[in-house]
Amino acid sequence: MFERTLNVFWIVFGAASAVYAWSLGMVGPAGPESGLFPFIASVIVSGAGIILLLRPSSAAPDFPRGGGLWRVLGVIAGLVVMAAGMPYLGFSVTSFITMIILLRAVDQSSWLTAVSLAFISTASVFWLFGQMLGMALPRGPWGW
Amino acid sequence: MEAVNGLLTGFGVILTPSNLYLCFLGSLIGTLVGVLPGVGPLAALALLLPVTFTLSPVGGLVMLSSIFYGAMYGGSTTSILLNIPGEAASVVTCFDGHQMARQGRAGPALGIAAIGSFIAGTLGVIIMTFFAPAIAAVAIRFGPPENFALMVLGLVCTLFMISGSTIKGVLMMALGCLTAAVGLDVVNGRERYTFGSVDLSGGIELLAVVIGLFGIAEILSNVETMAKTTLLADRIRGLWPTLADWRASWRPILRGSGLGFLLGLVPGGGPVTAAFMSYALEKRIAAQPERFGKGAIEGVAGPESANNSAVAGSLIPVLSLGIPSNPVTALLLGALIIQGIQPGPLFIAQRPDLFWGIVASMYIGNVFLLLLNLPLVGLWVQFLRIPYRVMFPVVLLLCVVGTYSANKNVFDLWVMLGFGVGGYVLRKLEYDLAPFVIAFVLAPLLEQSLRQSLVMSPDGAMILIKRPVAAVLLAASAVLTYLMFRRRTKNEGGLS
Repeated sequence: MFERTLNVFWIVFGAASAVYAWSLGMVGPAGPESGLFPFIASVIVSGAGIILLLRPSSAAPDFPRGGGLWRVLGVIAGLVVMAAGMPYLGFSVTSFITMIILLRAVDQSSWLTAVSLAFISTASVFWLFGQMLGMALPRGPWGW
Repeated sequence: MEAVNGLLTGFGVILTPSNLYLCFLGSLIGTLVGVLPGVGPLAALALLLPVTFTLSPVGGLVMLSSIFYGAMYGGSTTSILLNIPGEAASVVTCFDGHQMARQGRAGPALGIAAIGSFIAGTLGVIIMTFFAPAIAAVAIRFGPPENFALMVLGLVCTLFMISGSTIKGVLMMALGCLTAAVGLDVVNGRERYTFGSVDLSGGIELLAVVIGLFGIAEILSNVETMAKTTLLADRIRGLWPTLADWRASWRPILRGSGLGFLLGLVPGGGPVTAAFMSYALEKRIAAQPERFGKGAIEGVAGPESANNSAVAGSLIPVLSLGIPSNPVTALLLGALIIQGIQPGPLFIAQRPDLFWGIVASMYIGNVFLLLLNLPLVGLWVQFLRIPYRVMFPVVLLLCVVGTYSANKNVFDLWVMLGFGVGGYVLRKLEYDLAPFVIAFVLAPLLEQSLRQSLVMSPDGAMILIKRPVAAVLLAASAVLTYLMFRRRTKNEGGLS
């Protein structure tokens, strides 16, 4: 069912993309326009989607359940916190919070282990990239 | 003679303290990346790519390429001792390498893997030294139609070599081209697929895509299972193989070197395919094939040689033609383009320091790697004691830093997350992600060649058939496409 839905998505996505590419223009007086190449790619996406939809569906994908699903969702949640929090809280604080989420949700570490590991790893990465390699990592309102 | 002179130039470039240091550092990181399961060479290259922006082009490229071939060395350690491949090209080493370790022969297994890798890596670079300039000398006469046809052939070869569904591969390739179209049109500067977003007007960042698809998706797959493993580190005794081991191994090493190099040349080939093909070949020609899977040293020597030799082979199309044969070389191509260098037929003539510097560094890097992998094997074993549940948050943090550092833009983190989750789901549905990355990198050049060809032709697309070289390349693509679909029909017929 999931695979069939995805195949329908490819068809619709490819068609929408082809319509947009067409609006950019195909061929003009100066030769090929901006839309030609993406139009060809979009048609291929849609066409492949149709072929996949018409073919018998393969075995159901082995998506995670139970503990495995929670661990996967924990990692995704950690990354969402990271991407959403970094512009406001800076790299160090956001990483520290994310690491605690990951270690608690995924590894089920104790609070003491999670906080210690989060501090050590965040400080190490900040020192290596921010200090040693001179990368400009985002800073929070407190200046670090 | 020209190659020898070039190589001498290369050694002149590489034999400076800073470049030697970067070659050593790349070899060290590559070995570590190979040893640690869940961190592949592609993710490592993507993470360190921003670091190379601050280095000279030679230094940066030497470091990145040494990570690539270093990972091939390190991958066998984990396969042999843990029965988990450190990276994809070492999957087959698990079959016999781990069985050898269980029989108390971890030492000779690690030894033959490292020595075989050294011999094959060096042989591969020797062939590369003479082969790459010859290819470039031919390709230098290519115009836009020939370049377009060559890239089409490269993409078709990639599809031909993928293990899963061809249609899914085609879809991924087209999707890669579409994703690359986001941003400004390289020809006329017009915005495409940006929908007014400032973040999208610069295009989708290569690093965010690669780290998402191969770093984040890999982490998601690994945390899902979190398998417990047994480290057979206590059984490492006597790394030097016995005379009987040598007698059994020298032919597989040579065969693996040749096969690996040839498969490295083919787009879509590379170290993973080379290792599998070498194992299959050794098993097929063995006097006692039933020994395979039960600790046959040929099952370690052949594939480990093949994956190292394939690295040298796979660098030839990217450096002499500008065509990447796998996602890692696609990233190397991206790294060169970011540095303002366009690899292709003119690359060797225009930047001999860079090309020959990379070639010379591979000779030196192979020596570094032999030293790192034989006497220091005990050190790498200690890294294997770190549980993955402790390691993955740090890797995740590195993914974030690597992605962010490319443009200093948080938007790229969302792109990375999107591609990570997307890549994870697509892997579950048996989509091969390699065609996506290769197409994503090649698409701007492919589009430019196509549009230039059509502009210079009074007969439209007929120029692609009227030019003999382009016509031959496109005919070869058509034949491969036919064979690909015939194979698929046969397989489906066999299954039914």
